[in-house]
Amino acid sequence: MRRSPLSRALLALLGLAVAAVWAFPVYWMLDSALLPNVVLQSTTPTFLPFGGSLDNFAAVVSDPAFVRALSVSLVVTLTTVGAALVVAFLGALAVSRFRFRGRSAFVLALLLIQMLPAEGLFIAQYKMMSSLGLLNRSLALAVLYTAAVVPFTIWMLRGFVAGVPAELEEAAMVDGLSRTQAFLRITFPLLAPGLVASGVYAFLQAWNEFTVALVVMTDEQSRTLPLWLRGFVQASASRETDWGQVMAASTLVAVPVIVFFLVVQGRMSSGLVGGAVKG
Amino acid sequence: MNRRLPLVVLTSAALALSACSSGGGSDEPAATSTADNAGETVTLWLAGGDTPDELRTYLQDTFASETGATLKIEEQAWGDLVTKLTTALPDAANTPDVVELGNTQSPTFTNVGAFMDISDMYDELGGDKLLQSFVEAGSVDDTKYALPYYFGSRYMFYRKDIWKKAGVEVPTTLEEFNSAVATIAEDNPEDIKNFSGFFIGGQDWRNGISWIFANGGDLATKEDGQWVSTLSDPASLEGLTQLQTIQREASKAPADAKDQSPWLYINDSDTILDEEGKQTSKTSLAAATIMAPGWAHWSIGDLVKKDGKQVREWNDDTFGVFALPGTDGEPAPVFAGGSNIAISAKTQNPELSEELLRIVFSPEYQKMLGGAGLGPANSDYVDSLGDDEFAQALIDSASNSKLTPAAPGWAAVESSQVLEEFFGKIRDTDDLAGLAQQYDEKITPMLNG
Amino acid sequence: MPSRTLDHDPPGSASGPVPAPTRSAAPRRPGSGASRRLPYLLVLPTVLLLLAALGYPVGWQLVTSLRRFGLAQQFGAPPQWVGLDNYAALVSDPTLWGVVVRSVLFCVVTALVTVAVGGAVAVLMNALDRWTRLALQVALLLAWAMPIVAAMTVWIWIVDWRRGLLNWALVHLGVDSAAGHNWLAEPLSFFVVASVVVVWMSVPFVALSIYAGLTQVGQEVIEAAMLDGASGVQRLRYIYAPLVAPVLSIVMLLQLIWDLRVFTQIKLLQDAGSVANETNLLGTYVYQLGTGKGDFGTASAVSVLILLITVALSWYYVRSLMAQES
Repeated sequence: MRRSPLSRALLALLGLAVAAVWAFPVYWMLDSALLPNVVLQSTTPTFLPFGGSLDNFAAVVSDPAFVRALSVSLVVTLTTVGAALVVAFLGALAVSRFRFRGRSAFVLALLLIQMLPAEGLFIAQYKMMSSLGLLNRSLALAVLYTAAVVPFTIWMLRGFVAGVPAELEEAAMVDGLSRTQAFLRITFPLLAPGLVASGVYAFLQAWNEFTVALVVMTDEQSRTLPLWLRGFVQASASRETDWGQVMAASTLVAVPVIVFFLVVQGRMSSGLVGGAVKG
Repeated sequence: MNRRLPLVVLTSAALALSACSSGGGSDEPAATSTADNAGETVTLWLAGGDTPDELRTYLQDTFASETGATLKIEEQAWGDLVTKLTTALPDAANTPDVVELGNTQSPTFTNVGAFMDISDMYDELGGDKLLQSFVEAGSVDDTKYALPYYFGSRYMFYRKDIWKKAGVEVPTTLEEFNSAVATIAEDNPEDIKNFSGFFIGGQDWRNGISWIFANGGDLATKEDGQWVSTLSDPASLEGLTQLQTIQREASKAPADAKDQSPWLYINDSDTILDEEGKQTSKTSLAAATIMAPGWAHWSIGDLVKKDGKQVREWNDDTFGVFALPGTDGEPAPVFAGGSNIAISAKTQNPELSEELLRIVFSPEYQKMLGGAGLGPANSDYVDSLGDDEFAQALIDSASNSKLTPAAPGWAAVESSQVLEEFFGKIRDTDDLAGLAQQYDEKITPMLNG
Repeated sequence: MPSRTLDHDPPGSASGPVPAPTRSAAPRRPGSGASRRLPYLLVLPTVLLLLAALGYPVGWQLVTSLRRFGLAQQFGAPPQWVGLDNYAALVSDPTLWGVVVRSVLFCVVTALVTVAVGGAVAVLMNALDRWTRLALQVALLLAWAMPIVAAMTVWIWIVDWRRGLLNWALVHLGVDSAAGHNWLAEPLSFFVVASVVVVWMSVPFVALSIYAGLTQVGQEVIEAAMLDGASGVQRLRYIYAPLVAPVLSIVMLLQLIWDLRVFTQIKLLQDAGSVANETNLLGTYVYQLGTGKGDFGTASAVSVLILLITVALSWYYVRSLMAQES
């Protein structure tokens, strides 16, 4: 698109300003993670962590429970993301490419399910998992999480599936590709931005969820990262809450999300549809 | 769910057979023989990080050597404890065997039958020597379900330097305290903006009720079998009036402040630099006195560098402690913090759980609690707290401490935050008696469940 | 189809200037039995999953809302059927209506601001060059990924009356009266703070979702439209809006639903200051009743009421969404 260099520069400046506003609390977390607790209690803010140290990070990482919680969280979250994308993609395909009896009811049900209040469900969720013998199972938690994100993911993906012309696939099949090949080469890349956006959504929902995990993962060995993080916020009879450590722990919890995003974000670029149609 | 039942039966049979093997020093016969228990696991839930690691290790080691079984300790965050107890305790397949819970949380669970009746062990575990207000909180009529684990209590931390500059002495009665903190605020010897003689948040009812208790009042009493809120009784009202005066004249805390991190206001190395980066004479010190649980002393002191880290170090020249005095010069009754401990009614290991309680209430462990600064449940071992000023203040303030009413609806009162609301309105009301009456009418219906 | 802002033609329908449009519902090989079963096979995993995960809990909640069910019943006392008593007690309680009004106001304002800001950020992202865009995306994602306890702690530090960055900055800007100002004490400024925090937390999700929708619009289409003389507003309305509509509408609905029952943010702000009973929203109110009081019967009834309120609040909206479906 043609824009003058000046307006491009102004746009970039605006973009960076918005980025700064959203990143500021995150910067504050990082800054606090590098400072000792006594400095955090000062009435004058410390904007740069001069004289700070990695002590808080060292203290947090040396906790053996960290690695355990990290691996539980990774298993639960990646299972959720994978399962949610597959299940939701199939569902989105059905509602955007087919007319079938019950389709409206299905779509309406997806909307209504989003509205179910989750408060006070914890007793029933515990009873269900306990009677099935599924307490402390990462897979069980992943099933609950997947169910929580699938309705939104279907709504997100159906727009993308509908946006991919069926003729495009059919044309490719006429050109000799199998249906699978046509799907993988033509349709799938066009869905990528939607898959990425819903994947990031599913990842974050599962990664930061607290209440269900608290109820279902009863054992210390199977705690997820948010449950582990909770331990740092506790004051106890021998110490006050060390906010520097809380912030260091929180920073570590956030890192895998950023890594996940940087890995998948390349897929989130524009112009695919236009290019595909032209080609 | 009953897969474990045969095992329990077996264990009980083994118990009967082994009833005369040697025990752990008590007169009671050892309940179990170690060999039979190998492979058994008892789970203990501890709340928060209050029990230090050495004590946990001691429990596990002793439990293993006394019973041959394994003790698994899991720490639950205080904030999540009620949720976890609510779901796990009724579930026989997954219940923890022994749990620690807050003293004021106890009535909620004892009244619904969550815990095993341990009245028959009561005398063996310490009987009347155990902290009675906690025992009551864990009992339903005469049946004992939860017993005290440890206690803490709140006392005063003050700035010796400021008190001295203001020309006031450590008070010996409540009246003296009330007027001393007002004098300091008025005098403001360091000339600090918004300086409090005594910092107490408006909604901080857990500290504020000390004034009700000290004047002989109470939050609620049982009349003809029914609980009645008594905020507007003359004695309670007298205490509330004193608190109102303190809030107006001695404290500059916001009306909506609670009891979080009060030590922030009494530390002062929080220096303010002037334009050239030079230290100005004024600090951001905000109060001459605070009321806090004993462990706050770890967070109070001069800012020093230790091993390259900035930490607070207590300094006897600047800081001091005392128990809030009552109207008669004895320590005032203050709110007692602490925990109870109980066996789940659904435990699959009742005998082993009882064995664990025997270890917790043994002289050795009670002394270890005291050594760690936690008030031991059994009054015989209170000496183990030591004789420094913190131990003295803790013992003094706890000697007369009180709990919130053991009314069945008390949890509802606390969760509705109606006390926060009431205390937050005290400072600015013109009609304290009317306000108290209004809240009595709100609270009384909640008390009886 | 009536033309309202949120009521657009479905994507892929012939009216939109989407390249090579197609009827989205073109069935493949009509008539064959396998094909007729195919859509059902495709939705089967979703249906099974939702039934497995939600069936029992939701059923339990409905049943419990008709019972007297407190902690005693959780510990084995037989629950007692009370019909609609729990609902009747709630509806006649003036506290609940105060909470409902506050919640609905908070929810509508916050959701609208969130979607407006999120949409603007998405449009901005679409207009940026690659590296600035990535910087903005990462910043949003950082905010989204920040664990809620850390995020809330930082925000509470920012608005703290004594040590807060906000007051510190205001004083340095010359507003001396800001020193020691307590932002959480008054319900109105409490809700402004809460709303800012919730908007800050929700915008990344909204912006990235809408941006994903925007990327489906081909560059050629835009350039063609520009050559045809379409203004920026026109491009937004005729090209972007139809494609983004499904995402926008579900995102808006989700924000309404989430903001109506916002819990953690309000609870943590209440712990830091303010009078709880003047600042309770539905989320914290159910918590007080359920976990706080152990009255799960009433808490379940409130949950069902929340569901009804959500449906009522979004009914018109859901209907227009569904109208696009047929």
